[in-house]
Amino acid sequence: MPLTNNFDKLVAVSVMGQIASPGFPGLPAEPYRLDADGKPFLLPTYGGIVYNVSVGDSAFGWLADCIHPGVSISLKDENGNRGLNLFACVGNTAIVMSGDARGARGIVTGKSGRFSEHVILHFSKDDREKMAIGDKIVVKSKGTGMALADHPSVKFKSCSPELLDGLEVQTQPNGKLGVPVVAVVPPHLLGAGAGLTSEGGSLHIQTQDREAIKALGLDQLRLGDVVALADYDSSWNHGYLRGGIGIGVIGQGDSPRAGYGPGVTLIMTSATTGIEPVVTPGVNLTSVFNFN
Amino acid sequence: MSLRTNAAQLVEIAVCGNVSQPSLRYPGYTLDQYGVGAVLPGMSGVVYNARVGDPAFGWAGDHVEPGTSIANPDPAPEFALHYLTCMGNQAIITNGLAKGARGIVTGEHARILVDFSAEANDLICVGDTIQITAVGRGIEFTDYPQIVLKKCSPQLIAGIPIEELPNGHIRVPVAMELPPRIMGSGAELNSEYVDQDLMSGDRDLMAELGIDQMRLGDLVVIPDSDHRFGRGFRKGAATIALCIHGDSVMTGHGPGILTLMTCPEPLIEWVIDPNANIANYLHIRELQ
Repeated sequence: MPLTNNFDKLVAVSVMGQIASPGFPGLPAEPYRLDADGKPFLLPTYGGIVYNVSVGDSAFGWLADCIHPGVSISLKDENGNRGLNLFACVGNTAIVMSGDARGARGIVTGKSGRFSEHVILHFSKDDREKMAIGDKIVVKSKGTGMALADHPSVKFKSCSPELLDGLEVQTQPNGKLGVPVVAVVPPHLLGAGAGLTSEGGSLHIQTQDREAIKALGLDQLRLGDVVALADYDSSWNHGYLRGGIGIGVIGQGDSPRAGYGPGVTLIMTSATTGIEPVVTPGVNLTSVFNFN
Repeated sequence: MSLRTNAAQLVEIAVCGNVSQPSLRYPGYTLDQYGVGAVLPGMSGVVYNARVGDPAFGWAGDHVEPGTSIANPDPAPEFALHYLTCMGNQAIITNGLAKGARGIVTGEHARILVDFSAEANDLICVGDTIQITAVGRGIEFTDYPQIVLKKCSPQLIAGIPIEELPNGHIRVPVAMELPPRIMGSGAELNSEYVDQDLMSGDRDLMAELGIDQMRLGDLVVIPDSDHRFGRGFRKGAATIALCIHGDSVMTGHGPGILTLMTCPEPLIEWVIDPNANIANYLHIRELQ
């Protein structure tokens, strides 16, 4: 039985960003970050056009720090960027409005948090070749305010109607909203992003303890995978709460830094056990939206 | 007898800040875990009635910073104030009506927190300059090089009754243990800067574990946490930390926990001691 939704009441509105340049701090020319053991590293990180890392690829193993697959956009105006970061929803359509890739269409696949605040987009590799930093990209944002009548405890954030449809969520016999996920992340392995906004940004799986990550199979996660966050309530900020459950999409790659690892873009949360994660292999944005 | 340190080699250097003014962003609401907004005091300024040794929970406030909060308006001196100031450092007011009054550094949040007497607090004006004799950067336990110390003054280290054990470990008194799964906001920052909040949103858990009895100034332990370069989960590591500010209504927030000692190997042991509070160790006040 289809779930009663309010899709027909949701407003679609344009939010724009420009392809963001990678950035580093200025003089005295100390471009290093420190890994969890204090060793300096210098690797690609947020922003830019990433040609060879895409949603569907592994979230681990890249020589990078929280790499954004595909294309990252932001707006220099702080309030405007807030609008972009809040209203863009995973699964929304993005359209290139300037430059040689004008007219190319892509899709929102994630967001990044404090210190970068980008929206992350998938475009075909051919389209990426035609793009330039600074190109204008409009996202037809739609999803903010979404709700399911039979699941009032479930809040949706950064989630498009198309994503909710494509995930094939179902009311379980126990009345909870069953959501297919590839894995469940325990709360002690959630780090950076706790206490920060859940309306955008990211919450990171922390991967410093490699053995703990491997023991749970989390080292197999791919960019675009849908995961559950155990004992976390992301209704208003992300935080620990027994019984709370979040659902998110792996939006960014792994990190060498303490407290960091693959970044999760939150799409649903229930503070009161209203969500039941259903572990199912292969739940990834590439299959939901049929791109590769 | 206290542990051997390199205290004799440490440099003492002056840094300064000005007494801050509480500030709010229009319309001033902080959202709690149920999404309900409230306007709550706590951060910045002179907090007259919350002091190290008082409860961390239960205030009709948010992130209550005990005593006087200072900051420097210029970014580079401000970061020097943050990176060089250590817990237990001596402070002196250098202008205004309270000129000459002496205090003790008890915390580092977005501002540096200094304890002064009630008499001095009454004479302090927002903007008054406070100078700190910063000492403690570079401090090490001579016999335990694996243990990293952060923001510890020699006075604080000398004041804590740390035991050396026959197995080559040390044992530190702590008021309580915090499970790593409740460590929240601040995980995104480098551990040389400010604190990490414990997440107090699961109120039943706070009561079950007695965490709601925490006091400002308490020493606490976070097992399985490595705070050397950032703050993260690592099985077998341990971190000793200090409660520097009060509870919060915000999801993912709660009392602020400042790293004092951390070791990636299991060298730090702990013993629960209700008197493990810097009010005792720095002779700030008698605990109730």
